[in-house]
Formats: sequence, structure tokens, C-alpha cells
Amino acid sequence: MACMNEDGQWIVLMGLLVAVGLFFLALIINQSALVGQTTAEGVLEFPKNDIRDLREAVFDYVDEFDHEEDTESKAVRDDIIAISLERKNAVVNFSVGDPEDISGRDLHPITIHYNNGVTEYDETVYY
Amino acid sequence: MVNDGGQLYTMEGVAAGLIMLLTAYIVISTTSVYTPGDTHIPDMQLEQLGNDVLAMMDTPDRDGEESQLVGFVKNVTGPCGGNDLWDEFLDNCKMRAGDEDDNLHAQAYLSYRRSDGSVDTTPLSSEDPEFTGRENTVRVTRWVQLPVGSPSDMPPDVETTRPQAVLVEVLLWRA
Amino acid sequence: MSLDFLAGFTIFLLALIMVVSMVPGLLAGLESSGIDYDAVAYRTGVILAEDPGWPVYPPWEMKTDAYKDEIERMGLAVSKETPNILLSTKVNAFFNDSFFAEEDYRSKAIFGDIPYSYNFSLSSGGVLLNQTGDTLPPGYGYIRRVVKIKEPGVAVINDSFASQYTSSSSAQNFTVRLNFSRLLNASIDPAYRIDPRTEPVNVTITDFSEYLNGSCSDATLKDVTFWKMDPTTPMPRFSRIPFSYNTMDPNLYNLSLDGTPTDLAPETKVAENITLVLKPAATSLFTLDQNSILDIRFTFEDTDYPHTNITGIHHYDYNATNVTRPDLKPAVLEVAIW
Repeated sequence: MACMNEDGQWIVLMGLLVAVGLFFLALIINQSALVGQTTAEGVLEFPKNDIRDLREAVFDYVDEFDHEEDTESKAVRDDIIAISLERKNAVVNFSVGDPEDISGRDLHPITIHYNNGVTEYDETVYY
Repeated sequence: MVNDGGQLYTMEGVAAGLIMLLTAYIVISTTSVYTPGDTHIPDMQLEQLGNDVLAMMDTPDRDGEESQLVGFVKNVTGPCGGNDLWDEFLDNCKMRAGDEDDNLHAQAYLSYRRSDGSVDTTPLSSEDPEFTGRENTVRVTRWVQLPVGSPSDMPPDVETTRPQAVLVEVLLWRA
Repeated sequence: MSLDFLAGFTIFLLALIMVVSMVPGLLAGLESSGIDYDAVAYRTGVILAEDPGWPVYPPWEMKTDAYKDEIERMGLAVSKETPNILLSTKVNAFFNDSFFAEEDYRSKAIFGDIPYSYNFSLSSGGVLLNQTGDTLPPGYGYIRRVVKIKEPGVAVINDSFASQYTSSSSAQNFTVRLNFSRLLNASIDPAYRIDPRTEPVNVTITDFSEYLNGSCSDATLKDVTFWKMDPTTPMPRFSRIPFSYNTMDPNLYNLSLDGTPTDLAPETKVAENITLVLKPAATSLFTLDQNSILDIRFTFEDTDYPHTNITGIHHYDYNATNVTRPDLKPAVLEVAIW
């Protein structure tokens, strides 16, 4: 090499720079795809609509049965728990307490528990 | 003594080879470019759409009225029953500014608890003839509470002598 | 330029590439675009369909040009408990693109770091109701939300009330009463609530001829005044609310007599119909709370003898005969981002 003409090495160097530039572009495109993927997966994985729907189902239950425990209300409660487990793979439980006076209204304290293995949700809501 | 003037060429060749291998390895291991198909975005959009439609069908138009969805489920086989639920669901999904979003398909099911405690699922609407089971579907669900005496006469092992909570499930896919 | 330099530089660059690729956080802040359009569209869709916006009270849609900066977020939902139920007044304010500039949509609804282009549209039954933004290029991010629109009720006082609201010995006063403690009762689902603080109050008297005295063909509406009472104070009584009754302001109210717009002290003859729309911007000036009672008093006065027998109190409430409340209207909100 010692006696070789090295004047052309800048061509190699420029080639290298272009290659590095392309590499960075590829990385950026890769990352942007990940942004879309993580968002979509986050949305799919987080059971926002399931939890909302469960809350409304529990509110419907309270509208219907108040806080009384009888065979009918127990059956509906068992329906929600059993179908959640079987079809939604979610452990669900809820209980309705005696009405309390909350700023002039008689509201039932409801505790809702939801766990689908990825997301766990607990709430005490007055309805 | 053998002339070793060429050894430098060999070393350069080896070094260049190593560098090329290393570069190729890094490039392949880090830049696996995702295509939009891998990113679940269409699934997310479809699931949101289906959930919105079920929620809106379950919202009564007037205070105190029964929601459309409850009406459909109560009366599974009759007019305004399962097939109309499916029809209304798809119509709502297809709705957009301009032309309808025509390539959407759906299939509705009903999950209920039998008297022995097991959970069964039954089709609510007639089968889509093109449904093979291999479609990339999303499943959206909605709770419905039914009074005594419903759903009317179908399926046979649904208990109608007590109020119950059932789950409406809809498979939604593009074809 | 020697071989040593080339080799060293190559090794250095390779090392740099490895470091960069091994620290994803380095690129996390990088403003990427392309595939995340869908994510931004989703986020914007959630803000618009499931959030009532901020501030809530007084609501953002009532902010005038001078206070536009106080709007933090534009959401269209009626309340945070009612996702996907949109309030028509919020919808109308949002799609008013002569009030909001492109920058407002970007900073109050899209919340992107880079200036995204957008197209929002709201349609119902294939008919485009509202739309703002640019025409769609190929490759935009998209989300579609199925919603229902809540529209304000109207108190239509037609001839069916004629026997109820006429009396020959009348003072020629007709009152529409809004009892806020009844209207804003928390047991009523926000999706169906009559809330004069966020929705216009619409009083329409049609078939006014039925309320006229005998052979008279018209009567003179002296003025329309607003009165309030706070029943929680000792010895509650109605007091007249100071208001610019003589200034026509379509942002606060619309009063039209037989189709002609006028101010609140018209002293004009009316023969067939009276329409008053009291905008939430006006109601917010009245400093009412959730116990107040608001009276809208129509006073008729003729120089010779009473031309109308109208009298009585019409309750603006949840009774379907008193106030016609339209059904929730199904619609589709589409968000496109690029």
C-alpha cells in the first residue's frame, strides 16, 4: 500500500457518509412505525370500552334491583361475573351498599373490581 | 526469507470483511421495518368503531325509553330482532361522509348463562355466507339486561323466568 | 488522507451507530410522522368525542374573541360521563372556522408538536352537517367516531294552550318560568338534561291570533324582561335583572315578531308568532345558580284597551307538552390528520 496512489480515498469516505445517512433514515422510519404500533397496541390492550360498559351494566343493575340481595339480583350478578370470565377473560366483581346521603341525594356506594390479567381496575362510585 | 510485503493487504482485507459483516449484522438486527399491517392500526380503528356503534345503539334517543339494542335482543327471532340488530349495526358502522364504507361485515352473537351455571353463545343473526372463520376480526361486546320473559322463544336453554344479564358480541371485519 | 484515518473513522462511526441504535430513548423525542398520523387522529377523535373541553363552566364554547386564549381544549361531549353524546352548541362553536384559526385547532384539539394538517367532518345519514379543514391528500391518518348529537328543546306555545293561558281580566303578562333546581337536578342523565347555562332556551308562541281579544287583529308587545328569584334567601321575591334590553345582540338573544327581528323592548304590534331564543351567553350574565328561578316575562300593552287575553305561567321543564325535546341525532364524526 505504501506506494499506492491514495488520492481517491475521499470517494470511499463519501460513500461511507452516504451509507451512514441512509442508515439513520432507516432507523427513523423504523421508530415512527413503532410509534403507530405502540399507540394502536396500547388502545387495543387497554380495556377502556369494556370497563365503561361494565360500569353501565352495574348501574343498570342498581336501577333494577337497588341494593337488595335476593335470588333475582343474585342471578343477574352471577350472569355478569360468569359471562365476564368466560367470554371476556376478565375477573369481575361488584357490590352495592346501603344508600348514603351525598350532598342531598341518596346514593349507593358501588365498588367495582375488574382484572383481565393485563389491566386491573378498582373503583368506588356513588350512584 | 519470504517477502512479507503483502501481509498488509491481507490484514486490510480481513478488517474490511469484519467491518462489512458487523455492519450487515447491525443493520439487519435494528432496522426491521414494520409495515402498517403489523401495527394493528386497522384493528384499533375497527374496534373503536364497533364499540362506538354498540354504545350508541344502547343509548336511548329519549330519557326513560328503552334503547334500540335492548329492543332487538328482547325480540330475538321476531321482526326487530337479531337480524335487524345486525342490519342496524352494519348500517351505523358504514356511515360516513360521502359514500358508505361498504366492505364491512359483521356477525352477532349472544352469550348467556344457563341454569347449570355454564355459559353458552348462540348466533343472534343469520350467518354471513362469506364468513369462513379465518378473517382478521375484532370482537366488540355490550352488556344488556333483560326483564322476565325475554328474549322471546330463542334459544331454548335461555332462562326467561328471571331477569338476566346477557352479553351481545359482534365480530366485525373488513373483506 | 491515510488508510489509518479511514480505518479509524470507520470504526468510530460503527461505534456511534451502535450506541445510537442501542439507546432508543435518544430517538424517542424525534418528531416522526407518517404512521403516527393514525395515532394523532385517534387521540383527536377521543378528545372531541369523549371530552367536554376545558374550561367546563363557563364552557369554552361561550368564550368571545377577547377571551379565546382561555380555551384550553375543545371537546364536544355533553359531559365527561356521557362519551359520544355531543352538544350541538359545542359542535356549532367548534366548526365555526371564521372564529377559530388553523392554529387554534392545532393547539386546542390536535395537540401535536408539528403543524399537522387536518380535516374534521360531522355527518348524519350521509348528509354532511359540518366540515372544516383542507381537502384530503392520499395517506392520511383517520378515525371515525359514531356519536349522537343532543339538540336544545323548544317550548312551543300553540293554540292548544289557548284556553289555559287566556283570561279576560288579565294583566297581559305571560311568563315562561325556568326553575333551575328542577332543570339541573342531578338525577337526570346529562345526555337528556335541559341546561340553560350551556344550551339556548327557545320559546316560540305560534297561533298568537288565538290569544287575541275578540276582534283584534294584533296586540302590542311592550317588552320582554328577565326576572330572577333565589328561593334559598329569606323572603324570596322576583327582581328584575338589569340587562341591555334595548340593544339587539344576536350573540345574547334573538327575538322576532312575525319573522321580524327586534330588541327586547319592541313596542311593536304582533299578529301571529313570537320567537325568543335566549343564548347561554346571556344566561351566564344573569348570575344564576342551581337554585335560582328565572322568569321570562312577555308584557303586552295597548293604548286603547287590552288586545290580548294572554296570561299565566308556562313552565320550561321536562314535561313533554311544555318543552319539545328532540331525539338524540345519530351522526358520524370523522377526523383526518396528515
